[in-house]
Amino acid sequence: MNCLDYRRTLLAGTGESDSMRVHRLQCVACAAEWQEHGAFEEALREGLEVPVPQGFAARMANAQAVSRRKFLAAAASVLAAAGAGGFYLFARQDPIALAGIDFVMKEEAKSIMMGAISRSEAQAELAGTLPIERMERIGQVKHIRPCPFNGQTAIHVVLVVPQGKVTLLVMANSTVRRARHAEKEGLHAAVVGIQRGSVGVIGADLDVVESVAGALKA
Amino acid sequence: MGFEDTVRAHAADLFRYAYWLTRDRAQAEDVVQEALLRGWRAFPRLRERAAAKAWLFSIVRNEYLRAAGAPALDSLDGVDVADERSDHSGLEMRDALLALPASYAEPLALQVLGGFSCAEIARMIGATEGATMTRLSRARQALKRLIAPAERNVGRP
Repeated sequence: MNCLDYRRTLLAGTGESDSMRVHRLQCVACAAEWQEHGAFEEALREGLEVPVPQGFAARMANAQAVSRRKFLAAAASVLAAAGAGGFYLFARQDPIALAGIDFVMKEEAKSIMMGAISRSEAQAELAGTLPIERMERIGQVKHIRPCPFNGQTAIHVVLVVPQGKVTLLVMANSTVRRARHAEKEGLHAAVVGIQRGSVGVIGADLDVVESVAGALKA
Repeated sequence: MGFEDTVRAHAADLFRYAYWLTRDRAQAEDVVQEALLRGWRAFPRLRERAAAKAWLFSIVRNEYLRAAGAPALDSLDGVDVADERSDHSGLEMRDALLALPASYAEPLALQVLGGFSCAEIARMIGATEGATMTRLSRARQALKRLIAPAERNVGRP
């Protein structure tokens, strides 16, 4: 361990190892650096600890409790209305819908980081399937980009509707005759037919997913 | 520990982490709320409850990237922030942190607020451990330059 290694490791904030400590005890300059570093780290922590809104933790915990009650109530009403057969269909895990959820969990961030294509490019990509204006009637289009999906190219759209955000995957070459559904890792997906092909709608809230899918289907 | 207890234990640090990603208090609150909504539905399937904290931070990060207009947390290797902003020397620590791009402030927040190791941060941000250490070092270097007192023009009238 030399002075350069000592200071370089200190800057990474990983703490002081035994070999660093031995060096510090033998080096006056690095001992002074250690003192200064302690004060800096204290100031850094204080700087990062921005004030948290009053009652934030309780509000967040309470929001989860309310969501759980609403979810259980919705599930109970579906069971009561549709019976066991209907619930089987509801709970069925469709492979394309599941692939849509996997896309959101693993690929979506990459697509967003690569940036959106222009509006004119998006209109050309979506021609004959799902016009961009139709999506804009129900929400604000925040991102559009073609992406590899399930062995084809789908148009990935992030749509913000008043109740929250959903992801759309417009698949020109996949047709579905009836709506398909899946649920995994807290996300819900519905795939419905459009003018040409189909669109997958994926989001955290089942009601929002269903209402967006209903608004977009042909 | 159940989900509600886990939320109560980490909500403050999740908010602060979201703030350093978004730089906006209202947006940070939205990001955390959306992330926790996803989280509680997936929580029963979380096998390692001890990893719940890192898991929640990751969900917040994904939600931020999903959020409208989220800028890419791109790599800034080779960019010297403090040199580019040399006119900003003498700042208070929080102002200096605000002058850092999110890609520098994020690993700092994960390390200092979250208490995560370099290896854990590297996994969360999708970088190598070496690149993460470099980013943490550069972030601290940049902060030190930003908070250093501005040089005065001694001897001038």
